[in-house]
Amino acid sequence: MRSAMPDLTAEDRAFVDSLVGDQPAGWDVAGELPDDVLRKLGTRGLLCAQVPTAHGGIGASSRSNGEFTAHVGSLCSSLRSVMTSQGMAAWTVQKLGDSAQRAAHLRRLTGGQLAAVCFSEPAAGSDLAAMGTTIRRVGDSVVVDGHKKWATAAAYADLLVVFGRYEDGAAAVVVPTSAPGVRVERVIDPLGCRAAGHAHVRLDDVRLPADSLLGGVAQGLPLLVTTALAYGRFSVAWGCVGILRACRTAAAEHASTRQQFGRPIAEHQLVARHLAELYIAEQTASRVCEHASDCWDAGSPEVVVATVLAKHVAAGNAARGAGSAVQVLASAAATDGHVVARAYRDAKLMEIIEGSSEICQLILAEHATSVR
Amino acid sequence: MTIEQETGEAVATPAGIEEQLVSYLEERTKARVTPDQDLFRSGVVSSMFAMELIVYLEKEYQVSIAGGDLKLDNFRSVAAMTSLLLRLRGSSDAVGDA
Ligand SMILES: Cc1cc2nc3c(=O)[nH]c(=O)nc-3n(C[C@H](O)[C@H](O)[C@H](O)COP(=O)(O)OP(=O)(O)OC[C@H]3O[C@@H](n4cnc5c(N)ncnc54)[C@H](O)[C@@H]3O)c2cc1C
Repeated sequence: MRSAMPDLTAEDRAFVDSLVGDQPAGWDVAGELPDDVLRKLGTRGLLCAQVPTAHGGIGASSRSNGEFTAHVGSLCSSLRSVMTSQGMAAWTVQKLGDSAQRAAHLRRLTGGQLAAVCFSEPAAGSDLAAMGTTIRRVGDSVVVDGHKKWATAAAYADLLVVFGRYEDGAAAVVVPTSAPGVRVERVIDPLGCRAAGHAHVRLDDVRLPADSLLGGVAQGLPLLVTTALAYGRFSVAWGCVGILRACRTAAAEHASTRQQFGRPIAEHQLVARHLAELYIAEQTASRVCEHASDCWDAGSPEVVVATVLAKHVAAGNAARGAGSAVQVLASAAATDGHVVARAYRDAKLMEIIEGSSEICQLILAEHATSVR
Repeated sequence: MTIEQETGEAVATPAGIEEQLVSYLEERTKARVTPDQDLFRSGVVSSMFAMELIVYLEKEYQVSIAGGDLKLDNFRSVAAMTSLLLRLRGSSDAVGDA
């Protein structure tokens, strides 16, 4: 039984710690997360902790879920990526779905089923307006055709939230991966987050009941995408705080114990500077993420730009910070699976997804000129 | 919370809502805004700013904007947002117990 006050608890953290243990290195090398770990976390509502209690979720605040996301991110970015997908799917259903769809799907997402979100296509990466996937209404069904790329967690997923063109606008549909016409093709040897189950998805004349269409009507693509990404960006940002925490801890530990030239390397000033920069990167990323979450929890309109800022700052800091950590550990971190080696590969990808650094900069520039 | 609730009551007429929205938009964008102006075509509003407006409207008017209401047309003008708000405040359907 959870306590009356809905939020994440120390027990939730301990539960994750006990499931994860020292396995992330092995998961990274194998490129696979154990199904039972994902299902256990999912059944406890931990993969999308902000889902309201009325829908079987934990009802966590953004701040508390953010801290939790950072904790998981410090252990394993692959697992954290699965949380980001699940949370983004849940948020999309919550925002775009009608009450019957929310009731049905959110129960599944807090009941052990896993979900992925599909925006990207071969010709539509940063430019999602180029999306070619179509959703058509045919009698009592909707029919989906398209080719999606790089959907995180799709290899594990029971459900896909697929964005596509619909009537004179766009829409999102919930597609079971078991539906005829769905083919999930795993990405082989991804650069980072290697166990996150990235996959390309082919949707070939996929026929679904009409109520698979979230909200039931055509909407504007930019608003749909922006809505879904809001959660994804915030989750990636907090995940990067976790990466930085893991790197700072590993670098500080190593620099205090590794001796060269007769003293701990932390006493060489050029090494000490790396440690200072890692600390700065971690702290500044934490503060911008806390601010974004506090805006989210307060219902402040500033949340929109604060989330993009948090994602941009945290991802850039994580990519640079992980580079510094590899430098400090040197050969000690130069094998795959090592927490710092993983951070180095995983963090770089965080500068690409959910709005690349350049796309974030364009959004922030537009904001800067609009608030003169 | 009493002050906020009173504010909410005071502006619950179409004219009151329009007036409040115009002043919010003018303050936020530093541009002149009229109730019927197409905010997207005139470049006053981007889809990121539309998201901001949604969060603002949800908080300020205690509504939840979800599902089929999340279309840009509902935010295209002050008049469109006003009629959306009046409709959402009038219905007791728990759309978006988000
Ligand atoms: C690990 C990983 C996980 C992913 N997970 C998902 C997922 O779950 N679901 C999903 O749908 N997709 C996912 N993606 C895809 C991801 O969203 C895209 O990779 C991303 O949007 C960038 O698109 P692209 O790779 O096609 O790069 P492009 O859009 O081709 O960009 C290439 C470069 O050009 C820059 N660029 C492009 N346009 C501009 C511009 N206008 N101004 C300045 N610079 C520009 C970009 O910033 C980038 O540096 C994932 C990708 C990765 C690597």
